[in-house]
Amino acid sequence: MNDTSTLDVIGRRVEVNGEHATVRFSGVVPPVAGLWLGVEWDNPARGKHDGSHEGTVYFKCRHPTGGSFIRPNKVNFGVDFLTAVKNRYMLEDGPEEDGKDQIVIIGNKPVETIGFDSVIKQQSENKLNFPSGSPSLTGKFPALKVLVLNRTGITWAEVLQCAPGWPVLEELYLESNNLSISERPVGVLQTVKLLDLSSNPLIDENQLFRIAYLPRLEQLILSDVGISSIHFPDAGTGCKTSMFPSLQYLVVNDNQISQWSFINELDKLQSLHALSCLRNPLTEGDSGGAQTTRQFIIAKISQLKTLNKCEILSEERRGAELDYRKAFGNEWKKAGGHQDPDKNRPNEEFLAAHPRYHSLCLKYGAPEDGELQTQQPFLLKNQLLTLQIKYPNQVDQKVTEKQLPDSMTVQKVKGLLSRLLKVPVSELLLSYESPKMPGREIELENDQQSLQFYSVENGDCLLVRW
Amino acid sequence: MRECLSIHVGQAGIQIGDACWELYCLEHGIQPDGVVLNSKKDQLENAEMEHTNASFSTFFSETRAGKHVPRALFVDLEPSVIDGIQAGQQRLLFPPERLVSGKEDAANNYARGRYSVGAGVIDLVLEKIKLVEHCGGLQGFLIFRSLGGGTGSGFTSLLMEQLSAEYSRKTNLEFSVYPAPRISTAVVEPYNSVLTTHSTMEHSNCTFMVDNEALYDICHHKLGVERPSYANINRLIGQALSSITASLRFEGPLNVDLIEFQTNLVPYPRIHFPTTTFAPIISAASAYHEEPSVSDITAACFDCSSQLVRCDPRLGKYMACCLLYRGDVVPKDVNAAIAAMKSRSSVQFVDWSPTGFKVGINSQPPTVTPGGDLAKAQRAVCMLSNTTAVVEAWARLDHKFDLMYAKRAFLHWYIREGMEEGEFLEAREDLAALEKDYEEMGQST
Repeated sequence: MNDTSTLDVIGRRVEVNGEHATVRFSGVVPPVAGLWLGVEWDNPARGKHDGSHEGTVYFKCRHPTGGSFIRPNKVNFGVDFLTAVKNRYMLEDGPEEDGKDQIVIIGNKPVETIGFDSVIKQQSENKLNFPSGSPSLTGKFPALKVLVLNRTGITWAEVLQCAPGWPVLEELYLESNNLSISERPVGVLQTVKLLDLSSNPLIDENQLFRIAYLPRLEQLILSDVGISSIHFPDAGTGCKTSMFPSLQYLVVNDNQISQWSFINELDKLQSLHALSCLRNPLTEGDSGGAQTTRQFIIAKISQLKTLNKCEILSEERRGAELDYRKAFGNEWKKAGGHQDPDKNRPNEEFLAAHPRYHSLCLKYGAPEDGELQTQQPFLLKNQLLTLQIKYPNQVDQKVTEKQLPDSMTVQKVKGLLSRLLKVPVSELLLSYESPKMPGREIELENDQQSLQFYSVENGDCLLVRW
Repeated sequence: MRECLSIHVGQAGIQIGDACWELYCLEHGIQPDGVVLNSKKDQLENAEMEHTNASFSTFFSETRAGKHVPRALFVDLEPSVIDGIQAGQQRLLFPPERLVSGKEDAANNYARGRYSVGAGVIDLVLEKIKLVEHCGGLQGFLIFRSLGGGTGSGFTSLLMEQLSAEYSRKTNLEFSVYPAPRISTAVVEPYNSVLTTHSTMEHSNCTFMVDNEALYDICHHKLGVERPSYANINRLIGQALSSITASLRFEGPLNVDLIEFQTNLVPYPRIHFPTTTFAPIISAASAYHEEPSVSDITAACFDCSSQLVRCDPRLGKYMACCLLYRGDVVPKDVNAAIAAMKSRSSVQFVDWSPTGFKVGINSQPPTVTPGGDLAKAQRAVCMLSNTTAVVEAWARLDHKFDLMYAKRAFLHWYIREGMEEGEFLEAREDLAALEKDYEEMGQST
């Protein structure tokens, strides 16, 4: 079963006790006799050295402990594709017969399968799992729509090399391959609608530009790649980028996103409808709680229809946008914003941090000052009015200040003042004037009414005459 | 031959029905207006469809015009939910005579659903059933309802009594939404559930239970849906249902019939409450990240978190297990997986049921609704297990019932509609007896 002809064993994928590796060397390693295979493990900590033994370099590894020498008979080369299928389905009959016919029609070259030798044939979908390191594969798969190459150790270059054989490929899964996107796909992968690049920690935002112009790319899955920022340089604040033109659904769970600027940049995507952004430092942190984070994300990306798999209804959007506008209203004012459109000139920093603020103001109107006042907690002391008391008829009486609750009736105020001034209640005449209405004096004639009834406010001035 | 009629009662039943017929149509290639995709266009694409044409007559009937009509009946005592169906995506699929609605609803009141308002609608419903029922060989009825609602509890009790009387030889399978332990949608759920369980106990052959809390947790933790809505949950239930009925609709190496379920799952007539578990539940964003093998999904079934009902099977013993596989599954793998399960110490079987496993294999892989949360898997399993741990669920319900009944709280709403306190006591005693029965099952002989 093991095919150990040394010539074509290099580059093949093998498996030893559940660990996968790629063969890098085959030959004799003195002083020990016999044939050895030098392998580079997928898991870099598994090996003993980096390909050299007692000074001689036999092969190179990416990691100092990524390699080992193993005897060929300990190694599992996997089985030939057709054999694997036959072994598995040998006991089945009926519909599986159709499945087998499909294999012949496609005309596969025998391909090795390692580990995932589960193969499903459906009439229009072929999901193959096949390994890397086989650049010899030049067979065409004219109907192949879904290709899963998870955990095969394939590199981007190899993907592009094989890509001309997949002219109608729609879904490409490349999870956990330690790959980095090294070049732009030109003329290939143009029909791809879904690309899964999860768990490839070497990917960073700059590499994303290389796949940014795939015309049909609708779903991009970038979970667990360690990305923390994204930037579309071709679009300024508030404009739409021409990158990722058809991208509708983006998944960025389990990453290192901690800045709101990431979300701001996402608003520049033209077609983004759905976003999944769970388990990132931004969403996990305590800054206002999960609900606020969700609302901010909704408000920052205008055309988002689904967030974390929950549909955003129009009431939720409206609520989120209004809250966002209110929450940052004070900052906006400090940065130079103003209700009057002529005077409205918020500074660059604010605009960069809140690119949608302007359009929200246009939609709902600029936030009023009344809205922006922080709510005072309902303590009695917050309900007190601080009033100045003037005695216009008495020249020598100084102006005093008192704090009175606004629910106090005029009669009680008179009682208070009469005790203070030693003047009988019946002789007191009260009125007040407000700095907001200079010159106007309002009489407080009805003893039974409260100060609130007369709209006495904080900072007003009571005038007492007798 | 072998047709099954689905009856969806009350809001819960109807909304579950909506999700599950949507899934059935996708599986059979039937478009939302009832027409099958044209198989002449692309021979290669629909070769499989032709295969399956013959078998879906269990669930769909064909009209002369070539339209496929589901064998389903939707019943509710108030019109709003049914109007939702008539305005929804599948309005062309269900002809108006299959949608029965009354004028005044049951107001979460078993007595209204059963006696006052329900009595007015029952005759109409039975007539419709007669019309639908003239098919070759009706196997039985699948009844979808919730235990806590008014229509779901009261009207279903009435309906099942009548069905039992008229169609005594037919199987009655129920899919009930059990009231979740910590999430309630109605205060009087315990009353309604206890009363209806008592009434339908003798008429139902097997009752599959699901509960909302377990489903919310699955959606939240496994599928990454932050705030699951009923739509998400109903799709999950639809998947489980589809697996259960797959043998009836598709060919497979090892088919399991409706009657076979009962024969293998129900040791005594009253012990007919299996729990449902579904695996694998993978989010669409992690599709293909793990390729669960047959042993993986079998092991997942015995894990509490994949259960669709909140109860801990490790605290009880299994009496019978039915594993329904679908997709790319070979009997060799199944046997290996089951052997592994049996050797696990956490899976305990009662003394008097040593073999305990019934297996069904169907080659049709699971389908997913587009835009849904589940990833398309190559193989799936639905496990129906009759375990004594389900008594925990009944005990919880009974406890809540006792708390309310001790103070006779909310009782006047039922008395007003013509019920008597005696009925409450009777029902409660029946459930107490059920709990005792389960306990006896679990004891060693």
